Amino acid sequence: MRRTLPLMASSLALLLLAGCGGSDGSSTPAPPAPPPVANEDPPAPAGANFDILPCLQQEVLPGRNVGNLVVPDTLTIDFSLPSSFPNGRRLEDPVVDLTLAVLFLDLKKEPVTRFSALPLNPPGNDLPFRSSFPFLAAAQGDHPVSGAGKNFNFRTDAPSAYVRVDRMGMPAVATVLISKAMKSAYNDSDPIDDDKLKYFNDISHDLTALTNALSDDLAALKLNMCAVKK
Amino acid sequence: MKQDKRVIVAGFTAVAVGAAAALLTADRAARAADHLDPPSRTDPAVDTTPDKAADIADVFAWYDANFVNIAMTFAGPSAASLPATYDRDVLYTINISNDETSFTPEYQIRMRFGQDGSAWGVQFTGVPGTTGPIEGPVDTDLKQGNVTVRAGLFDDPFFFDLQGFKTTKSTGQLSFSNTRNFFDGQNDTAMVMEIPRSALASGNNPIRIWGTTARFGGQI
Repeated sequence: MRRTLPLMASSLALLLLAGCGGSDGSSTPAPPAPPPVANEDPPAPAGANFDILPCLQQEVLPGRNVGNLVVPDTLTIDFSLPSSFPNGRRLEDPVVDLTLAVLFLDLKKEPVTRFSALPLNPPGNDLPFRSSFPFLAAAQGDHPVSGAGKNFNFRTDAPSAYVRVDRMGMPAVATVLISKAMKSAYNDSDPIDDDKLKYFNDISHDLTALTNALSDDLAALKLNMCAVKK
Repeated sequence: MKQDKRVIVAGFTAVAVGAAAALLTADRAARAADHLDPPSRTDPAVDTTPDKAADIADVFAWYDANFVNIAMTFAGPSAASLPATYDRDVLYTINISNDETSFTPEYQIRMRFGQDGSAWGVQFTGVPGTTGPIEGPVDTDLKQGNVTVRAGLFDDPFFFDLQGFKTTKSTGQLSFSNTRNFFDGQNDTAMVMEIPRSALASGNNPIRIWGTTARFGGQI
Protein backbone atom coordinates (compact mmCIF):
# COMPACT_ATOMS: atom_id res chain seq x y z
CA MET A 1 0.00 0.00 0.00
CA ARG A 2 2.77 2.43 0.86
CA ARG A 3 4.19 2.25 -2.69
CA THR A 4 0.98 3.60 -4.20
CA LEU A 5 0.90 6.71 -2.04
CA PRO A 6 2.95 9.06 -4.19
CA LEU A 7 0.61 8.58 -7.12
CA MET A 8 -2.41 9.08 -4.93
CA ALA A 9 -0.88 12.14 -3.32
CA SER A 10 -0.17 13.67 -6.71
CA SER A 11 -3.83 13.42 -7.62
CA LEU A 12 -4.80 14.97 -4.33
CA ALA A 13 -2.28 17.73 -4.78
CA LEU A 14 -3.80 18.68 -8.11
CA LEU A 15 -7.21 18.69 -6.52
CA LEU A 16 -6.12 20.97 -3.73
CA LEU A 17 -4.28 23.31 -6.02
CA ALA A 18 -7.48 23.73 -7.96
CA GLY A 19 -9.35 24.33 -4.77
CA CYS A 20 -6.90 26.68 -3.12
CA GLY A 21 -5.70 28.71 -6.03
CA GLY A 22 -8.89 30.44 -7.03
CA SER A 23 -8.44 33.43 -4.81
CA ASP A 24 -4.69 33.42 -4.60
CA GLY A 25 -2.39 34.21 -7.44
CA SER A 26 0.52 32.59 -5.64
CA SER A 27 -0.58 29.03 -6.38
CA THR A 28 1.75 27.37 -8.82
CA PRO A 29 2.29 23.74 -9.72
CA ALA A 30 3.67 22.02 -6.68
CA PRO A 31 7.38 21.25 -6.61
CA PRO A 32 8.29 17.60 -6.21
CA ALA A 33 7.18 16.77 -2.72
CA PRO A 34 9.24 14.61 -0.39
CA PRO A 35 8.02 11.06 -0.06
CA PRO A 36 5.67 10.23 2.78
CA VAL A 37 7.53 9.93 6.00
CA ALA A 38 7.42 6.62 7.76
CA ASN A 39 5.22 7.21 10.75
CA GLU A 40 3.96 5.13 13.60
CA ASP A 41 0.76 4.30 11.80
CA PRO A 42 -2.10 3.00 13.91
CA PRO A 43 -2.73 -0.70 13.32
CA ALA A 44 -5.40 -1.30 10.70
CA PRO A 45 -7.67 -4.30 10.20
CA ALA A 46 -6.53 -6.77 7.58
CA GLY A 47 -7.33 -5.65 4.05
CA ALA A 48 -8.25 -2.08 4.92
CA ASN A 49 -7.24 0.03 1.93
CA PHE A 50 -9.21 3.24 1.50
CA ASP A 51 -9.08 6.20 -0.85
CA ILE A 52 -9.47 9.47 1.09
CA LEU A 53 -9.87 11.69 -1.97
CA PRO A 54 -13.68 11.91 -1.56
CA CYS A 55 -13.16 13.09 2.01
CA LEU A 56 -10.95 15.98 0.96
CA GLN A 57 -13.42 16.91 -1.79
CA GLN A 58 -16.34 17.25 0.60
CA GLU A 59 -17.69 20.79 0.72
CA VAL A 60 -17.94 21.94 4.33
CA LEU A 61 -18.67 25.62 3.78
CA PRO A 62 -19.75 27.34 0.58
CA GLY A 63 -16.77 27.15 -1.77
CA ARG A 64 -14.54 25.43 0.78
CA ASN A 65 -13.90 21.72 0.96
CA VAL A 66 -12.12 19.71 3.62
CA GLY A 67 -8.83 19.98 1.77
CA ASN A 68 -9.11 23.76 1.85
CA LEU A 69 -9.59 23.65 5.61
CA VAL A 70 -6.45 21.62 6.18
CA VAL A 71 -4.18 23.32 3.64
CA PRO A 72 -3.07 26.00 4.35
CA ASP A 73 -3.06 25.67 8.12
CA THR A 74 -4.91 28.82 9.16
CA LEU A 75 -8.18 29.77 10.75
CA THR A 76 -10.38 31.47 8.17
CA ILE A 77 -13.23 33.88 8.82
CA ASP A 78 -15.76 34.67 6.11
CA PHE A 79 -17.91 37.50 7.44
CA SER A 80 -20.82 36.42 5.25
CA LEU A 81 -21.12 33.13 7.15
CA PRO A 82 -22.03 32.40 10.78
CA SER A 83 -19.15 32.70 13.19
CA SER A 84 -18.50 29.16 14.33
CA PHE A 85 -16.00 26.44 13.54
CA PRO A 86 -14.80 25.83 10.88
CA ASN A 87 -15.60 29.45 9.96
CA GLY A 88 -13.18 30.74 12.58
CA ARG A 89 -13.18 29.08 15.97
CA ARG A 90 -15.19 30.12 19.00
CA LEU A 91 -14.15 29.12 22.49
CA GLU A 92 -17.20 26.89 22.87
CA ASP A 93 -16.94 25.08 19.53
CA PRO A 94 -16.54 21.28 19.81
CA VAL A 95 -13.68 21.31 17.35
CA VAL A 96 -12.47 17.76 17.85
CA ASP A 97 -15.84 16.11 17.23
CA LEU A 98 -16.49 18.36 14.24
CA THR A 99 -13.04 17.67 12.82
CA LEU A 100 -13.48 13.93 13.17
CA ALA A 101 -16.77 14.19 11.29
CA VAL A 102 -15.40 16.13 8.34
CA LEU A 103 -12.34 13.89 8.05
CA PHE A 104 -14.11 10.54 8.21
CA LEU A 105 -17.84 10.84 7.50
CA ASP A 106 -19.77 11.20 4.26
CA LEU A 107 -21.39 14.58 4.86
CA LYS A 108 -24.02 13.92 2.22
CA LYS A 109 -25.35 11.12 4.42
CA GLU A 110 -24.24 12.15 7.89
CA PRO A 111 -24.64 15.54 9.56
CA VAL A 112 -21.41 17.29 10.41
CA THR A 113 -22.73 17.30 13.97
CA ARG A 114 -22.91 13.48 14.11
CA PHE A 115 -20.16 13.17 16.70
CA SER A 116 -20.69 16.47 18.53
CA ALA A 117 -24.38 15.60 19.03
CA LEU A 118 -23.47 12.44 20.91
CA PRO A 119 -21.04 13.89 22.06
CA LEU A 120 -17.94 11.82 21.47
CA ASN A 121 -15.72 14.15 23.51
CA PRO A 122 -16.67 16.33 26.49
CA PRO A 123 -19.33 18.77 25.27
CA GLY A 124 -17.94 21.91 26.85
CA ASN A 125 -15.42 23.57 29.08
CA ASP A 126 -15.36 22.85 32.79
CA LEU A 127 -15.96 26.55 33.51
CA PRO A 128 -18.36 28.86 31.66
CA PHE A 129 -16.80 31.37 29.30
CA ARG A 130 -17.40 35.05 29.90
CA SER A 131 -19.83 36.76 27.54
CA SER A 132 -17.66 39.86 27.21
CA PHE A 133 -13.96 40.66 27.12
CA PRO A 134 -11.70 38.85 27.98
CA PHE A 135 -14.08 35.96 27.21
CA LEU A 136 -11.82 33.26 28.65
CA ALA A 137 -12.78 32.02 32.10
CA ALA A 138 -10.75 33.25 35.03
CA ALA A 139 -7.78 31.15 36.03
CA GLN A 140 -8.50 28.30 38.39
CA GLY A 141 -6.93 27.70 41.77
CA ASP A 142 -4.84 29.71 44.17
CA HIS A 143 -1.79 30.76 42.18
CA PRO A 144 0.86 33.44 42.63
CA VAL A 145 0.16 36.71 40.79
CA SER A 146 2.44 39.38 39.39
CA GLY A 147 3.02 42.59 41.33
CA ALA A 148 2.41 46.17 40.18
CA GLY A 149 4.77 47.99 37.84
CA LYS A 150 4.90 50.39 34.93
CA ASN A 151 8.46 50.70 33.57
CA PHE A 152 8.77 47.33 31.90
CA ASN A 153 11.95 46.27 30.07
CA PHE A 154 10.45 44.96 26.85
CA ARG A 155 12.91 43.74 24.25
CA THR A 156 13.27 46.00 21.24
CA ASP A 157 15.07 43.49 19.02
CA ALA A 158 13.77 42.97 15.51
CA PRO A 159 11.71 39.83 14.80
CA SER A 160 14.68 38.54 12.80
CA ALA A 161 16.57 38.13 16.09
CA TYR A 162 14.12 35.44 17.16
CA VAL A 163 13.99 31.80 16.04
CA ARG A 164 10.69 30.06 15.39
CA VAL A 165 9.49 27.53 17.96
CA ASP A 166 5.82 26.85 17.22
CA ARG A 167 2.96 27.73 14.91
CA MET A 168 -0.75 26.98 14.86
CA GLY A 169 -3.80 27.64 12.72
CA MET A 170 -6.45 24.95 12.56
CA PRO A 171 -6.75 22.60 15.51
CA ALA A 172 -5.51 19.05 14.99
CA VAL A 173 -3.62 19.56 11.73
CA ALA A 174 -0.10 19.78 13.18
CA THR A 175 -0.85 17.33 15.97
CA VAL A 176 -2.87 14.69 14.12
CA LEU A 177 -1.98 14.89 10.44
CA ILE A 178 1.72 15.69 10.53
CA SER A 179 4.11 12.84 11.26
CA LYS A 180 6.52 13.04 14.17
CA ALA A 181 9.48 13.22 11.83
CA MET A 182 8.09 16.27 10.04
CA LYS A 183 6.79 18.22 13.02
CA SER A 184 9.74 20.52 13.55
CA ALA A 185 9.98 21.39 9.86
CA TYR A 186 6.23 21.94 9.75
CA ASN A 187 6.33 24.34 12.67
CA ASP A 188 9.17 26.23 11.04
CA SER A 189 7.11 26.70 7.90
CA ASP A 190 4.33 29.12 7.04
CA PRO A 191 0.98 28.95 5.28
CA ILE A 192 2.64 29.93 2.04
CA ASP A 193 4.62 26.69 2.27
CA ASP A 194 1.41 24.78 2.97
CA ASP A 195 -0.08 26.36 -0.13
CA LYS A 196 2.80 24.94 -2.14
CA LEU A 197 1.80 21.52 -0.76
CA LYS A 198 5.14 21.04 0.94
CA TYR A 199 3.58 18.71 3.52
CA PHE A 200 0.78 17.27 1.51
CA ASN A 201 2.20 13.78 1.09
CA ASP A 202 2.67 13.58 4.82
CA ILE A 203 -0.88 14.74 5.52
CA SER A 204 -2.42 12.38 2.98
CA HIS A 205 -0.40 9.47 4.30
CA ASP A 206 -1.42 10.07 7.91
CA LEU A 207 -5.09 10.63 7.06
CA THR A 208 -5.12 7.45 4.96
CA ALA A 209 -3.51 5.49 7.78
CA LEU A 210 -6.05 6.78 10.31
CA THR A 211 -8.92 6.05 7.95
CA ASN A 212 -7.74 2.49 7.37
CA ALA A 213 -7.26 1.97 11.10
CA LEU A 214 -10.67 3.32 12.12
CA SER A 215 -12.61 1.83 9.22
CA ASP A 216 -13.74 -1.23 11.17
CA ASP A 217 -14.92 0.84 14.12
CA LEU A 218 -16.82 3.27 11.88
CA ALA A 219 -18.42 0.38 10.00
CA ALA A 220 -19.40 -1.31 13.24
CA LEU A 221 -21.12 1.90 14.27
CA LYS A 222 -22.97 1.90 10.94
CA LEU A 223 -21.57 5.27 10.05
CA ASN A 224 -21.24 6.28 6.40
CA MET A 225 -17.60 6.93 5.63
CA CYS A 226 -16.41 9.48 3.09
CA ALA A 227 -13.45 7.31 2.11
CA VAL A 228 -14.09 4.55 -0.40
CA LYS A 229 -12.54 1.13 -0.70
CA LYS A 230 -9.95 0.84 -3.42
CA MET B 1 -6.08 -4.99 16.13
CA LYS B 2 -6.67 -5.26 19.84
CA GLN B 3 -4.79 -3.52 22.56
CA ASP B 4 -3.66 -4.95 25.86
CA LYS B 5 -5.06 -2.53 28.38
CA ARG B 6 -8.70 -2.31 27.41
CA VAL B 7 -10.48 -1.44 30.62
CA ILE B 8 -13.99 -0.29 30.01
CA VAL B 9 -16.56 0.23 27.33
CA ALA B 10 -18.20 3.62 27.31
CA GLY B 11 -18.50 6.80 25.36
CA PHE B 12 -21.14 6.75 22.70
CA THR B 13 -24.69 7.34 23.68
CA ALA B 14 -26.64 5.16 21.34
CA VAL B 15 -29.27 7.72 20.41
CA ALA B 16 -27.84 8.88 17.12
CA VAL B 17 -25.67 6.06 16.06
CA GLY B 18 -27.48 2.98 17.18
CA ALA B 19 -25.48 0.31 18.86
CA ALA B 20 -22.14 1.89 19.57
CA ALA B 21 -19.25 1.55 21.89
CA ALA B 22 -15.90 3.14 22.39
CA LEU B 23 -13.06 1.43 24.11
CA LEU B 24 -11.20 3.35 26.73
CA THR B 25 -7.71 2.70 27.81
CA ALA B 26 -5.54 4.14 30.51
CA ASP B 27 -2.80 6.11 28.85
CA ARG B 28 -0.18 8.69 29.54
CA ALA B 29 -0.90 12.34 28.96
CA ALA B 30 0.24 13.82 25.70
CA ARG B 31 -0.45 16.66 23.30
CA ALA B 32 -3.78 17.83 21.99
CA ALA B 33 -4.86 20.89 20.01
CA ASP B 34 -1.28 22.13 19.86
CA HIS B 35 -0.18 21.67 23.45
CA LEU B 36 3.32 20.16 23.62
CA ASP B 37 3.80 20.33 19.85
CA PRO B 38 6.32 20.12 18.29
CA PRO B 39 7.37 17.54 20.87
CA SER B 40 11.09 17.87 20.20
CA ARG B 41 10.92 21.49 21.39
CA THR B 42 8.12 21.62 23.93
CA ASP B 43 7.25 18.21 25.34
CA PRO B 44 9.14 17.31 28.53
CA ALA B 45 8.62 13.66 27.70
CA VAL B 46 10.78 14.13 24.61
CA ASP B 47 12.84 17.27 25.21
CA THR B 48 15.04 17.76 28.28
CA THR B 49 14.74 21.54 27.87
CA PRO B 50 11.13 22.06 26.79
CA ASP B 51 10.21 25.60 25.83
CA LYS B 52 7.04 25.93 27.84
CA ALA B 53 6.66 29.67 27.32
CA ALA B 54 6.75 29.33 23.53
CA ASP B 55 4.44 26.33 23.33
CA ILE B 56 1.17 27.37 21.69
CA ALA B 57 -1.84 25.57 23.09
CA ASP B 58 -4.68 26.91 20.92
CA VAL B 59 -5.68 29.75 18.62
CA PHE B 60 -9.24 31.06 18.54
CA ALA B 61 -10.82 33.70 16.30
CA TRP B 62 -14.46 34.69 16.03
CA TYR B 63 -16.51 37.74 15.30
CA ASP B 64 -19.68 39.58 16.23
CA ALA B 65 -21.41 42.62 14.79
CA ASN B 66 -18.66 45.01 15.77
CA PHE B 67 -15.50 43.13 16.69
CA VAL B 68 -13.14 40.34 15.73
CA ASN B 69 -11.89 38.55 18.82
CA ILE B 70 -8.64 36.63 18.80
CA ALA B 71 -7.11 34.56 21.58
CA MET B 72 -3.94 32.52 21.68
CA THR B 73 -3.23 30.30 24.68
CA PHE B 74 0.19 28.93 25.53
CA ALA B 75 2.35 27.41 28.27
CA GLY B 76 -0.22 24.89 29.30
CA PRO B 77 -2.06 23.06 30.51
CA SER B 78 -0.66 24.12 33.84
CA ALA B 79 -1.70 23.09 37.33
CA ALA B 80 -3.99 25.58 39.06
CA SER B 81 -1.43 26.16 41.79
CA LEU B 82 1.22 27.43 39.36
CA PRO B 83 1.74 31.03 38.26
CA ALA B 84 1.46 32.28 34.70
CA THR B 85 4.44 31.76 32.40
CA TYR B 86 5.97 35.07 31.32
CA ASP B 87 9.22 35.08 29.37
CA ARG B 88 10.94 38.23 28.13
CA ASP B 89 12.71 36.30 25.38
CA VAL B 90 9.66 34.97 23.56
CA LEU B 91 7.98 36.82 20.73
CA TYR B 92 4.32 35.97 20.15
CA THR B 93 2.84 36.83 16.76
CA ILE B 94 -0.70 36.75 15.47
CA ASN B 95 -0.57 36.82 11.68
CA ILE B 96 -3.57 38.08 9.75
CA SER B 97 -4.12 38.11 6.01
CA ASN B 98 -7.06 40.06 4.65
CA ASP B 99 -6.23 40.40 0.98
CA GLU B 100 -6.52 38.09 -2.00
CA THR B 101 -3.03 36.70 -1.52
CA SER B 102 -4.29 34.95 1.50
CA PHE B 103 -1.16 33.22 2.77
CA THR B 104 1.01 36.22 3.48
CA PRO B 105 0.12 38.44 6.45
CA GLU B 106 -0.96 42.04 6.03
CA TYR B 107 -0.91 42.44 9.80
CA GLN B 108 1.51 40.97 12.31
CA ILE B 109 0.49 41.64 15.88
CA ARG B 110 3.50 41.18 18.16
CA MET B 111 3.32 40.56 21.88
CA ARG B 112 6.24 40.65 24.32
CA PHE B 113 6.55 40.42 28.08
CA GLY B 114 8.84 42.64 30.16
CA GLN B 115 9.62 43.18 33.83
CA ASP B 116 9.67 46.06 36.26
CA GLY B 117 11.37 44.52 39.22
CA SER B 118 9.33 41.44 40.00
CA ALA B 119 6.24 42.77 38.24
CA TRP B 120 5.42 41.65 34.72
CA GLY B 121 4.05 43.78 31.94
CA VAL B 122 2.96 43.14 28.38
CA GLN B 123 3.36 45.06 25.14
CA PHE B 124 1.25 44.64 22.01
CA THR B 125 2.39 46.24 18.76
CA GLY B 126 0.93 46.28 15.28
CA VAL B 127 -2.67 45.86 16.40
CA PRO B 128 -5.03 47.03 13.64
CA GLY B 129 -6.98 50.04 14.83
CA THR B 130 -4.16 51.39 17.00
CA THR B 131 -1.61 54.12 16.43
CA GLY B 132 1.15 52.75 18.62
CA PRO B 133 2.07 50.11 21.18
CA ILE B 134 -0.33 49.12 23.91
CA GLU B 135 1.55 48.49 27.13
CA GLY B 136 0.68 47.81 30.73
CA PRO B 137 0.58 45.27 33.53
CA VAL B 138 -0.42 41.67 32.90
CA ASP B 139 -3.84 40.49 34.06
CA THR B 140 -5.27 43.88 33.13
CA ASP B 141 -7.56 45.04 30.33
CA LEU B 142 -5.56 47.53 28.26
CA LYS B 143 -7.34 49.84 25.82
CA GLN B 144 -6.40 52.11 22.96
CA GLY B 145 -9.29 53.57 21.01
CA ASN B 146 -11.76 50.77 20.39
CA VAL B 147 -9.14 48.05 20.78
CA THR B 148 -8.89 46.08 24.02
CA VAL B 149 -6.11 43.60 24.80
CA ARG B 150 -5.07 41.55 27.78
CA ALA B 151 -2.46 38.94 28.64
CA GLY B 152 -2.37 36.82 31.74
CA LEU B 153 -3.38 33.59 33.36
CA PHE B 154 -6.74 32.05 32.42
CA ASP B 155 -8.54 28.77 32.66
CA ASP B 156 -7.49 26.44 29.82
CA PRO B 157 -10.47 26.78 27.45
CA PHE B 158 -9.91 23.55 25.56
CA PHE B 159 -12.11 20.55 26.29
CA PHE B 160 -11.15 17.22 24.89
CA ASP B 161 -10.46 13.62 25.85
CA LEU B 162 -6.74 13.73 25.32
CA GLN B 163 -6.28 10.25 26.65
CA GLY B 164 -8.82 8.91 24.20
CA PHE B 165 -7.15 10.73 21.31
CA LYS B 166 -3.79 9.22 22.09
CA THR B 167 -5.23 5.78 22.45
CA THR B 168 -7.22 6.13 19.23
CA LYS B 169 -4.16 7.19 17.30
CA SER B 170 -1.90 4.53 18.73
CA THR B 171 -4.32 1.59 18.58
CA GLY B 172 -6.56 2.40 15.64
CA GLN B 173 -9.63 2.02 17.84
CA LEU B 174 -12.08 4.80 18.60
CA SER B 175 -11.40 5.34 22.28
CA PHE B 176 -12.97 8.62 23.29
CA SER B 177 -15.04 9.29 26.38
CA ASN B 178 -17.23 12.34 26.82
CA THR B 179 -16.74 12.26 30.57
CA ARG B 180 -12.98 12.60 30.47
CA ASN B 181 -11.56 16.09 29.91
CA PHE B 182 -7.82 16.23 30.40
CA PHE B 183 -7.93 20.02 30.70
CA ASP B 184 -10.34 20.21 33.63
CA GLY B 185 -9.00 22.35 36.45
CA GLN B 186 -5.95 23.56 34.56
CA ASN B 187 -4.76 26.92 33.31
CA ASP B 188 -2.96 28.49 30.36
CA THR B 189 -1.22 31.77 29.93
CA ALA B 190 -2.93 33.62 27.11
CA MET B 191 -3.29 36.76 25.02
CA VAL B 192 -6.74 38.05 24.07
CA MET B 193 -7.64 40.88 21.71
CA GLU B 194 -10.89 42.59 20.75
CA ILE B 195 -10.38 44.48 17.48
CA PRO B 196 -12.99 46.48 15.54
CA ARG B 197 -14.13 44.62 12.42
CA SER B 198 -13.69 47.83 10.48
CA ALA B 199 -9.97 47.75 11.21
CA LEU B 200 -9.52 44.22 9.88
CA ALA B 201 -12.00 43.60 7.12
CA SER B 202 -11.08 44.33 3.52
CA GLY B 203 -14.15 44.29 1.36
CA ASN B 204 -15.60 40.81 1.11
CA ASN B 205 -12.25 39.06 1.50
CA PRO B 206 -12.11 36.33 4.11
CA ILE B 207 -9.42 36.85 6.72
CA ARG B 208 -6.93 34.16 7.62
CA ILE B 209 -5.35 33.97 11.05
CA TRP B 210 -2.49 31.93 12.48
CA GLY B 211 -0.18 32.19 15.46
CA THR B 212 3.55 31.74 15.83
CA THR B 213 6.09 31.90 18.63
CA ALA B 214 9.81 32.52 18.43
CA ARG B 215 12.62 32.72 20.97
CA PHE B 216 15.28 35.42 21.11
CA GLY B 217 18.70 34.07 20.18
CA GLY B 218 17.51 30.59 19.23
CA GLN B 219 15.67 27.61 20.59
CA ILE B 220 16.54 26.28 24.01
